[in-house]
Amino acid sequence: MRTIKKYFEGKGRNPTNIELQSLGQAWSEHCCYKSSKPVLRKFLFGLNQPYVIDKGDAGVVEFDDDNAYAIRIESHNHPSAIEPYGGAATGIGGIIRDILCMGAKPIALADPLFFGPLDAPLDSVPEGIKHPKYLVSGVVSGIRDYGNRVGVPTIAGSVTFDESYVGNCLVNVACVGIAKKSQLVTNSAKNEGDALILVGGHTGRDGIHGANFASVEITSETEEQDRGSVQLGDPITKEPVIHVCVECAKKGLLTGMKDLGAGGLSCVTGELCLKGGFGAEVHLDRVPLKEADMAPWEIWVSESQERMMLAVKEENVQKVLDICNLWDVSAIPLGNAIKDKVTRIYYHGKKIFELDLDFLTEGPEYERPCNLPSAPIMEEAKKAKAAKPRKFGTYGEALLALLADFNVCCRDWVIRQYDHEVQGRTVIKPLQGKMNANGPGDATVLKPVEDSYRGLALSIASSPFTTAIDPYKGGLAVIDEMCRNLAAVGAMPHSYTNCLNFGNPEKPERFGVFHEAVRGLGDASRAMSLPCPSGNVSFYNESHNGAIKPTISVLGAGIVDDVRKCVTTDLKCAGNSIYLLGETREDFGGSVYSRITGRDGGVSPIDLENLKSGVAATVNAIRSGCVAACHDLSDGGLAVALAEMCLGGSIGAEVNLGALGALPTDAKLFAESATRWLFEVKTGEEKRFEAAMKGLMLFRIGTVGGESLTVADGKKQAVCENVETLRKAWAEPLWNVMG
Amino acid sequence: MKVSDAKVCILQIEGTNCDEETYWAFKRLGADPEVVHLKQLIGTGIPHGMKRSLSDYQCLIFPGGFSAGDYVRAGAIFAARMKATLAKELRTFIGAGYPVGGICNGFQIMVELGVLPGLGESMTPLPEAILDKNDSDRYECRPTLLKHESRGNCVFTSKLPQNKVVMIPCAHAEGKLAFPKKEGDRIVEKLIENDQIVFRYVDEDGNYAGYPWCPNGAIYNIAGICNPAGNVFGLMPHPERAFHRFQHPDWTRTGLGESGEGENGDGKVIFESALDYIGKKF
Repeated sequence: MRTIKKYFEGKGRNPTNIELQSLGQAWSEHCCYKSSKPVLRKFLFGLNQPYVIDKGDAGVVEFDDDNAYAIRIESHNHPSAIEPYGGAATGIGGIIRDILCMGAKPIALADPLFFGPLDAPLDSVPEGIKHPKYLVSGVVSGIRDYGNRVGVPTIAGSVTFDESYVGNCLVNVACVGIAKKSQLVTNSAKNEGDALILVGGHTGRDGIHGANFASVEITSETEEQDRGSVQLGDPITKEPVIHVCVECAKKGLLTGMKDLGAGGLSCVTGELCLKGGFGAEVHLDRVPLKEADMAPWEIWVSESQERMMLAVKEENVQKVLDICNLWDVSAIPLGNAIKDKVTRIYYHGKKIFELDLDFLTEGPEYERPCNLPSAPIMEEAKKAKAAKPRKFGTYGEALLALLADFNVCCRDWVIRQYDHEVQGRTVIKPLQGKMNANGPGDATVLKPVEDSYRGLALSIASSPFTTAIDPYKGGLAVIDEMCRNLAAVGAMPHSYTNCLNFGNPEKPERFGVFHEAVRGLGDASRAMSLPCPSGNVSFYNESHNGAIKPTISVLGAGIVDDVRKCVTTDLKCAGNSIYLLGETREDFGGSVYSRITGRDGGVSPIDLENLKSGVAATVNAIRSGCVAACHDLSDGGLAVALAEMCLGGSIGAEVNLGALGALPTDAKLFAESATRWLFEVKTGEEKRFEAAMKGLMLFRIGTVGGESLTVADGKKQAVCENVETLRKAWAEPLWNVMG
Repeated sequence: MKVSDAKVCILQIEGTNCDEETYWAFKRLGADPEVVHLKQLIGTGIPHGMKRSLSDYQCLIFPGGFSAGDYVRAGAIFAARMKATLAKELRTFIGAGYPVGGICNGFQIMVELGVLPGLGESMTPLPEAILDKNDSDRYECRPTLLKHESRGNCVFTSKLPQNKVVMIPCAHAEGKLAFPKKEGDRIVEKLIENDQIVFRYVDEDGNYAGYPWCPNGAIYNIAGICNPAGNVFGLMPHPERAFHRFQHPDWTRTGLGESGEGENGDGKVIFESALDYIGKKF
């Protein structure tokens, strides 16, 4: 406030209402990252590669000589907690606009989602908070109805359940687009006098103060007070806006483009012009309204959906208006870019607003007090183990329980509601294996360019359970998982976008967790030479029962030279050999097995050099054609990964883990040691495969075949379960609860 | 005429979202497709250079999507707009024998237009059928197996042997073909007699099966039908999403096929057949 007072004293006048509202938006945590920036600068901003083309509203990365992909993830947590259907839908709408305003056609959506336990007793859910089941149903429907209608396939995602998300679910939404390099647009006006054309939906009172709302904790009064902060999405207004923007970009009619998201016009106008070195002059009375009696400040800060701002050279204005007219898309020239770096707003000819743009958009930055945690955080380590440990008579029973865990079981209930094939680019699908066997996939692969076999692999990863116990290792783990997933289809990790969901940064211990997790993320990215051209921070994810688990979610992109060389997770053919790559230890910290049985163990260490060589060897082996199937080891460890490979292929396997040494059998089966993969190698190709893995810790553990998964440890039989028994355990849990 | 001269009109309004992949299906086969907005055919309120006429084309395709959001019955709004402005042109186009195809939402639009099943006349004043909500009451995005049942009448499958099973994926919430109550059996009989049933859902053994093999509960497992003349064809699953073998859901198991003829997806033959017919007839 002092900064604001000083500014207006210097000007010798009092601020107007609309000016104060505007500053309130632009300086919210959501818009200017005032808490996170110093940490991000220290660990993430330096991550770069020569093939990164732009870091605007979305990151733009070279795909091949002629084409680029745009990539971005962001959170839509608070709106979704209040109004799950609308919140999730507008989240999709918003992330699509971020891709669109780089001039790219959106070709993929991916959504990591985090909820409270589906079986939470009704009376355990605090007042003012919605039951996880209701939230899951609403969020999935919202994503489905918006994504399917705009014709962008939802090709990847994750659903994670944990107590800590009961009061504050997380809805992260990611989008990827493709563009010819020549059609790329930046988020800045290029010339003095460029017309500013507002395109798309009309402006209403929905979503006023959404940016501020995103930056507070949720309480039982939140619903009453803040329903007006949730915007209303309309995919059928958006769909033609996509056509219009892509066509204008393709025809080279735009000098700049930016979407209206948080803060609405108040943020977009200044940022679009200032980035080009200009100011802006805007006539607010020209804005088409949903409600006629809106005050100028409401028009200025409204976050109504489906709107884009185009900067257009005077000579191209009519061409842009013609394209919009064909699609019945509203397009109104609101004003122009001007030489002085100020924003001036006129309302029916009268000047009502004049602020220096540097002052308006260069929000403050805070060095928050920060208590670095010493890992492991004992309190969290204790919480991560089962409160009421379950005991199992056999390892087979334990495996069935793990497969039926809500964090492991089949996601077809969600995935098949999303159109993951529209646009016809989806070469490796999210569900794999025999038709209707619904085997899980590690990454999805798209073929984005018509006349090229080059593929873009996409995968979601997150690591809340380990990050809670050891934030630094959790930061490493998310990159480890992402790279494992991409490599498992044969893709070299290429870039990623991250969404950092944390608690209240004003609490020093929370901020310390953020600091360490981001440090881990940065170190792993640097080791893997991975650029992070876009991202998003969501703080204040807290409610009655404290903060959420610190949750980094990422969408990773990998490159496949030839999509026809990709592999899937499902076992293919009896007689083929099964290999395990990577070291297994008693790493149970944050594992599913520990959450069910209370088993002790630390969070898996991660050797980044090892990850690097493992990824390279995996990709090479797959490209050389000797691999029939590949699956990374994650939730539930080796036994669950093996079972999943059997499920996709509807075939059994016979495995012996004696070669893994003197470890306890439960560690061999269920520990979640990082950086491991399983391979099915074609008969006769074993030598070639082993040569590709030279120098790495590789074990030949078994053979594909039969109708059961049998696992022995030396001479002891550990597991023997029919594949259809495994399927029943794994396939039904979500259906049973969600219907 | 030469296939390269065959002009294909791929018609869209807001919410039609499978236009691009449908465009490429024809383009890859050497035809001359164009994505056209319905307003360009109607011709009012747009610059002269944007106007198009149906009579300039030899093939009309209604692609998939959610035209106008499908907030009313799927396809109803697209059909109503077209019927109000272009009924005569469409009737003439169909009467001349040009192929008219609809995929998913396009099939729904054609049923709403009254051009399918087209019993009695080429365009009935009221819809004779409906694509109702799936029995599962859910959106279903999954691969489906279709048995080709046409005895040679349908111009969109002329190059596909009868009884052959093909994999073509579906993605819809409203795909359950249904006829007026008590008339279902009679109409199915009529469709069989007229050789109008083109595809039926089957399981991996080729048997007519229930969910999930039949994703929607359609009468008689019907996935696609044509009009009595065979030149108007609607299909719920998406052949443009199975143009290449590597778009199939299980190609990493079943392979990409022999070199040369390899890599063909099961949906390709639909577009090839339509172009083959145009090449021979016009």
